[in-house]
Amino acid sequence: MVRRTVIVSLCLLFSVLTSGCWSSKEIEDLALYTGLALDVGEPAPVEKEFEEKGGTYSKQNKVVATVQVVPIKSASGSMDKKGGGGGGQQKPYSNVSGAGDSILEIFRQFSIRRDRPIIGHHLKVIIISAELLKRQTISQLMDFVMRDNDIRPSTMVYISQGTARDTLTSDQPNEIPSFHIMGMIRNQSRTSKVLSPVTLARLDALTYSKRSFVLQNLIKGDGEVEFSGAGIVKGDTGHWIGFLNQEDTECVAWLNNEGKAGAIKAYDSSGEPMTYEIKAMDSKITATADGGCISFSVKLSSEGRFIETWNDQDTSSSQEFADNAGRIFEAKLAKMMQALLGKLQNEYQCDAAGFGDKLAIQQPAVWKEVKDHWDEAFSKAKIEITYDLKITDFGSFTE
Amino acid sequence: MFTRTDDKITASQAAVFLNNSVLGAGILTLPRGVSEAVKTPDSWISILLSGVIVMLVILLMVKLSQQFPGQTVFQYAGRISGKFIGGLLCLLLAIYFVVLAGFEIRSLAEVTLFFLLEGTPIWAVIVPFIWAGTYLVCGGINSIARVFQIILPISIVVLLISYGVSLRLFNLDHLRPVLSDGIAPVLRGLKPTVLVYTGCEVTMTLVAFMQQPRQAVKAMLAGIGLPLCLYLLTVLVVIGGLSIDSAITSTWPTIDLIRSFEITGFFVERLEFPLMVIWLMQMFCNFCSFFFQASLGFSQIFRLKLKPVIFVMVPLIFLASMVPKSVGDVFALGDAIGNMGIALFILIPLLHSGIWLLRKKGVKQNG
Repeated sequence: MVRRTVIVSLCLLFSVLTSGCWSSKEIEDLALYTGLALDVGEPAPVEKEFEEKGGTYSKQNKVVATVQVVPIKSASGSMDKKGGGGGGQQKPYSNVSGAGDSILEIFRQFSIRRDRPIIGHHLKVIIISAELLKRQTISQLMDFVMRDNDIRPSTMVYISQGTARDTLTSDQPNEIPSFHIMGMIRNQSRTSKVLSPVTLARLDALTYSKRSFVLQNLIKGDGEVEFSGAGIVKGDTGHWIGFLNQEDTECVAWLNNEGKAGAIKAYDSSGEPMTYEIKAMDSKITATADGGCISFSVKLSSEGRFIETWNDQDTSSSQEFADNAGRIFEAKLAKMMQALLGKLQNEYQCDAAGFGDKLAIQQPAVWKEVKDHWDEAFSKAKIEITYDLKITDFGSFTE
Repeated sequence: MFTRTDDKITASQAAVFLNNSVLGAGILTLPRGVSEAVKTPDSWISILLSGVIVMLVILLMVKLSQQFPGQTVFQYAGRISGKFIGGLLCLLLAIYFVVLAGFEIRSLAEVTLFFLLEGTPIWAVIVPFIWAGTYLVCGGINSIARVFQIILPISIVVLLISYGVSLRLFNLDHLRPVLSDGIAPVLRGLKPTVLVYTGCEVTMTLVAFMQQPRQAVKAMLAGIGLPLCLYLLTVLVVIGGLSIDSAITSTWPTIDLIRSFEITGFFVERLEFPLMVIWLMQMFCNFCSFFFQASLGFSQIFRLKLKPVIFVMVPLIFLASMVPKSVGDVFALGDAIGNMGIALFILIPLLHSGIWLLRKKGVKQNG
């Protein structure tokens, strides 16, 4: 009898002690944010109104942080009140902005405006405006997100030419802009204008080693976002210094061996467009150092298809024609590459295309000497590029 | 039916036991510790070298222990260097095991609180683990070894799956150039890598529990071989995936590697949670091993019964685990433990083997 009482009371005790988690938080009671945009500090209209009524604290407004909160459709059904563009349709997201000097402080400031605590477990993209990166360094801005234990290092970082928070809006119903931006990298299999995403993990390494790098640039036009080229962040200062256009970006991807596909369009002798579809692209960079002179020889090779021509006479699929067309495409590619190198070496004087990594691997002794002023040394380096484009077929078309 | 009275373990159980004593929280911080010291991507060479060194150390421990069949270091040390010195050194070793157990359980709690259970008080994580450990250790070496045998394959499979999936981030360029600064950085990395093998001291008691002590060399080398391979793999995968620059700045680089990607469409999108949960079991095994060694040590030094000693250990281990005030202190304690381990190695197996050899010679000459 005593034994049974003990067992029963133990069972009761356990049902109290072992039910549920200690610090559990119901997901319905949390506001998950999936996007974060950082802009230069000018309080949003809402905040201005708050401030007029005395709702302020000590700050200098160095940054505006905007989080994109994805509401969970719960029984309470309190979807968003802000951001609805009319038509009666509710947006599946809501953006909240706050100005301040510390990202965490701004986040905590949201807590006195919203009904659910925001939580960063599902942050997917971070967009920083170029204007802000001109004033603050990338490591200052990314310090919090790298330290935080909720935000994953898989979060992708982008730069925006215009206002960053605008890229987190969308005209499409039922579309969450941050998921849209994240999904856009799938197109890497179609064009190398889409760069491999820079995740926080990669950014951590890049900022720690003080190397210059590129971040994909986002622009917004008439309700749509576009990956347009890339912004360069200079390693030693950590500031944004300029943009590369879309063709430059393709070239950077090719040089880094990150490109998978793309198209090269050129005009033939009679001025009609013709296009080469890249099926395989490869780059081989060899670094040599002769005394104080560093030079790189780059071998770009590609295989692809002659996919389109507007010239009605060009119906040949002979080897001679292929060679001739190949030379025209090579010339176009060379022009693009020279334009990129001109920008990197002369205009911006910084190595954002990973030549330094190649030197570090191939000539570690030389690298150790120039490491601390690499961007400078890079702008004086000699770079020679050889091209090898091979047209393997003419699609499902033959003479 | 399966209860054994002799409390001995087989060779494979001994190997697993050693393996689980070595493999613990170290794997989560190893890439950072090594990279900080080496500063070039050559840390994997350091791991290999230190693995060979540790194998030699273990060989020495086994050879010494085999001279005293059925006796643990706590029993035979006194016979070599005298009751007082031997006893004192053994006491040091037992205290070392207590500190190590406290350290392991604290790292387990720290990593759990940071990634999984934010907001839970630390004692609420530590105390249940110590209680569960007490229950296991009371069962004797046989039950411990059997639990280890169950957990080890699970934790290794999950670890390997996580590493396998992380290969999508792997970039061989992160591991190059090889030996760019010569061999010096590799040697600098030896100390922090030797430290991840702390716990191999259990060899000196394990041999005594083996059914066939003759197989000890094979079993112990196998027991250390697996952690060596896993450490090597960890450093290769983490440095290759994140690059040393990222590994240096990360508190838990191995977990950060797994957190650096999402597998959309897979049955779990984020592998860090299964990995952490499973690795908790591994850290628990690690802790239990030291818990057992510490209790065994105190009971044999002071000739007490094992069970009461186990219960005395509970508050001691809890205190040891709560001594560090911050994560920084925990890592500092880890370094201190490593230094203690090296000192104890010099004092116990090395010194005692020397004395034993001299004595044997002396006996032969006299006889």
